[in-house]
Amino acid sequence: MALLEVVDLHVGYRVFEGYLKVLNGVNFEIEEQERVGLVGETGCGKTTLVKTILRVLPVPPARIQRGQVLYHGKDILLMSPREVRGLRRREMTAIFQDPLQALNPMFTIGTQLRDILKDSQERVGRGQRTQRAITARCISALRDTGMPDPERIMSNYPIQLSGGMRQRVCIAEALSRNVRLLLADEPTTNLDVTIQDQILRKLDQLVDQRGASVLIITHSMGVVRDLTQRLYIMYAGSMVETGRTKGVLASPLHPYTQGLMRSVPRLTGQGISDGIPGRIPNYLQPPSGCRFHPRCAHAMPVCVEAPPPFYPAGDNHRVACYLYRS
Amino acid sequence: MWQERKADLVATMKLRRQSLAKGWYKYSRNPLSVLGLIVLVLIGTSAGLAPYITPYPAHAGAFTNFREAGQPPSWKHLFGTDRIGRDVFTRVIFGYRFSLLLGVVVLSLGVAPGVVLGLIAGYRRGTWVEIVIMRITDVFLAVPPLVLALAITAMLTPNLLNAMFAIALLWWPWYCRLVFAVASSLRNQFFVREAELCGASRAHILFREILPNCVAPILTKMTLDMGIVILLGASLSFVGLGAQPPTPCLGTMVADGAKRLPGEWWSTIFPALAIVLVILAFNLVGDGLRDVFAVEEV
Amino acid sequence: MPGDILSVDNLRKHFPTKEGVVRAVDGVSFSIAPGETFGLVGESGSGKTTTAQCIIGMYPPTSGDIWFKGERINAAFDRRPKHVKGDLRIVFQDPGSSLNPKRTIKQILSVPLQVHRIGSRRGRLARMKALLDMVELPADEYLYKHPQAIGGGERQMVALARALATNPSLVLLDEPTSALDVSVQAKIINLLIRLQKELDLTYLFITHDLSLMRNIATRVAIMYLGKLCEIAPTAEFFESPVHPYTRMLLSSIPVVSDEEEALKPRKVLSTGEIPSPVNVPPGCGFQSRCPEAADVCRRVDPEMVEVSRSHQVRCHRERRPDRAGHAEASVLHEREERLC
Repeated sequence: MALLEVVDLHVGYRVFEGYLKVLNGVNFEIEEQERVGLVGETGCGKTTLVKTILRVLPVPPARIQRGQVLYHGKDILLMSPREVRGLRRREMTAIFQDPLQALNPMFTIGTQLRDILKDSQERVGRGQRTQRAITARCISALRDTGMPDPERIMSNYPIQLSGGMRQRVCIAEALSRNVRLLLADEPTTNLDVTIQDQILRKLDQLVDQRGASVLIITHSMGVVRDLTQRLYIMYAGSMVETGRTKGVLASPLHPYTQGLMRSVPRLTGQGISDGIPGRIPNYLQPPSGCRFHPRCAHAMPVCVEAPPPFYPAGDNHRVACYLYRS
Repeated sequence: MWQERKADLVATMKLRRQSLAKGWYKYSRNPLSVLGLIVLVLIGTSAGLAPYITPYPAHAGAFTNFREAGQPPSWKHLFGTDRIGRDVFTRVIFGYRFSLLLGVVVLSLGVAPGVVLGLIAGYRRGTWVEIVIMRITDVFLAVPPLVLALAITAMLTPNLLNAMFAIALLWWPWYCRLVFAVASSLRNQFFVREAELCGASRAHILFREILPNCVAPILTKMTLDMGIVILLGASLSFVGLGAQPPTPCLGTMVADGAKRLPGEWWSTIFPALAIVLVILAFNLVGDGLRDVFAVEEV
Repeated sequence: MPGDILSVDNLRKHFPTKEGVVRAVDGVSFSIAPGETFGLVGESGSGKTTTAQCIIGMYPPTSGDIWFKGERINAAFDRRPKHVKGDLRIVFQDPGSSLNPKRTIKQILSVPLQVHRIGSRRGRLARMKALLDMVELPADEYLYKHPQAIGGGERQMVALARALATNPSLVLLDEPTSALDVSVQAKIINLLIRLQKELDLTYLFITHDLSLMRNIATRVAIMYLGKLCEIAPTAEFFESPVHPYTRMLLSSIPVVSDEEEALKPRKVLSTGEIPSPVNVPPGCGFQSRCPEAADVCRRVDPEMVEVSRSHQVRCHRERRPDRAGHAEASVLHEREERLC
């Protein structure tokens, strides 16, 4: 059984102009100890998906029309708030693009790390010994992320740290309690490449050691290639292509993925293509059938009729496109 | 050419209509705000049309009828009559006229200078201009408003005009502070930088680039302040430094009636409730406006 | 150099703060020829944005000179002649904050036209439509929209149209696409390339994205801690990077294909973070992270030296006598060997 499985998820938002149909039948899964990348551009529904999985989606204005989010076969969407809290405490966690929003500016790093660690444990003693043990665990978690001088960092406030350091704190926070699943939403987008390189290497190493599964949500193909085994490409509220990361990036099949890959500036200096014509659809009246058809050079009559299912294209590679029907 | 100008105008009007419709949608999400608006419209129109819709318009002035003095509420006199026989309901409606007038005049006198000074100080933050303007503002803010108003009205002859003047003098510093805070954060936004680098004039930057972004907090504060100004006006009248008899004024009426509590309760309670009602309505509308101007999340 | 459209000579910008003097830009010199796309690359805190802001005139430099078309333009915007303001324009990084959210695109575009008195009152509407056409936006529809109602890429196109309204010859692009998706970035970049040809524009492109510079820049300069490390024509820069920082940057870029992986210099493991520009230690700014730092690097700040014509590097390794006669390729080769 997959660790996390999302089945036919439909989510929308009620706004002044009408109803935004954002997620349009999302299907994906993450196995135990697997590292999966989710690549999609701004407005494709990545954030809505993560919020739905973490059960932090504001309902209303959001509305979950149908679908399931199965964690070990149990639907997160049907869990009681208590169960969800337990899940977030011990089973899965998230790190976000902006670590400053994830850290409370009023407390020291040490206080926050200790609180989270205490909270994630079943029974906590109040004795001196447990306190000291927890502090030691926090420091070692920080050291594991490559943080220089973790003892000093424990008494610092988030504002005193650089962006890279803050993200290290968030990673330490997430990994200090041995979660099964880590959702990383654009974890290095705000960081410089040399710092990104350090953080990703560390994350890679730590996840390996702990045996956790990771879902990395990003718009950077390069990050996904460095860090994940499998990859999903998302467009306008559904998955359009999946497969082994290197395979998909080397030979993309879906016209959208192809357009995306052509847009990525390469170190080979071959120039940049014209991108993808048109823009992301309006979710009030999204295109029928395959939502990419108005921008697709290969659109056929069938594309307008119904959303394409995943067609196998060899070696775990699957594409939601009618071009690969046979 | 004419065709183009017309198309330009039509498109601009369409945009305005759309923004208004969207604003109303957000406002109407909160039923209490809608209720507040309805109450406010009712109070406003009845105050505006007071001479035509009140049962005894003559009672608004120097009128006496000792035969019907001090009567409790009845169908003939909905809120009863006061000690010289005037209909309290009529006088409450007329009283609203002066309260609303006071609020509107005070805010229109007070807001404009406050906003302009705040814009200048915020934009020139870190220079002597800011220091001068903001320190003067601080001085005004340090004086308790009611005390200064009392002093001013006592110094001049106590009447409605001087009360307005006194309150207006106290009101601008709040707007100066508010706009100063917004403007000094907007000053570093790139659209302001762009206008500077392009060579736009100071006036353009202050009034075309920065001011439109301050409108939301100003309007919200104004609606909330209307209630406070009305209350302050009522307080001045209560101690006899506002509108002078026989002008119907809610504060004066409460003061007059208070001497006859608890016997003739109606001549105090109804004007007091009227004050509460109008302040509550303004606050509800202010909350609604805040929702309208709130940044969208989704 | 005569004929250069912009030349920056030993530019310094120091900001006094409570903790000490922040040396944001500390002696930067370069010049840009007409028609070039000059890529100024650096990480956050390198001073690339401060350099751009001095050039555009957001504040005057602490010392050094900025020459624009033979005119010295050291002053800040309020003291600059109007024709310079029209001729030298900027596109900011975040199109969300560079367009006033309370004004329509028509109002936004009309500002430069009014300020620089371009066109008659009536002609301006036509001019605004032409500008939107130029950046490939449907004019009749977009003139009457607020910036929030359009996408990030389209906002950046509007910002570009506004910059072009005064017919500038040099446009500063301050990370114009770093907030955008790759497919949108591709569109903007192609638009920039097309407009450069059509309107004879020169670009100073400030960015942290080296892969992007590989594809559009004519020359690339790398900044670190307020100073330039290396300047070279694009092909040379990527084929034979000399400065250890350049190589660290290049080897840290996440790439998407094996061909690119092969082009990266051998891995220079990224360690540490950029030091604070307050109280900069003596010696080379990069020595705290440099895997090849020697004693001299900790004591003396290196000078800019020419490795070849138009390829300059600021590193002690290049001054060592045993290097002097060597061909560049062998220098590189040797260093690679030592690294392993």
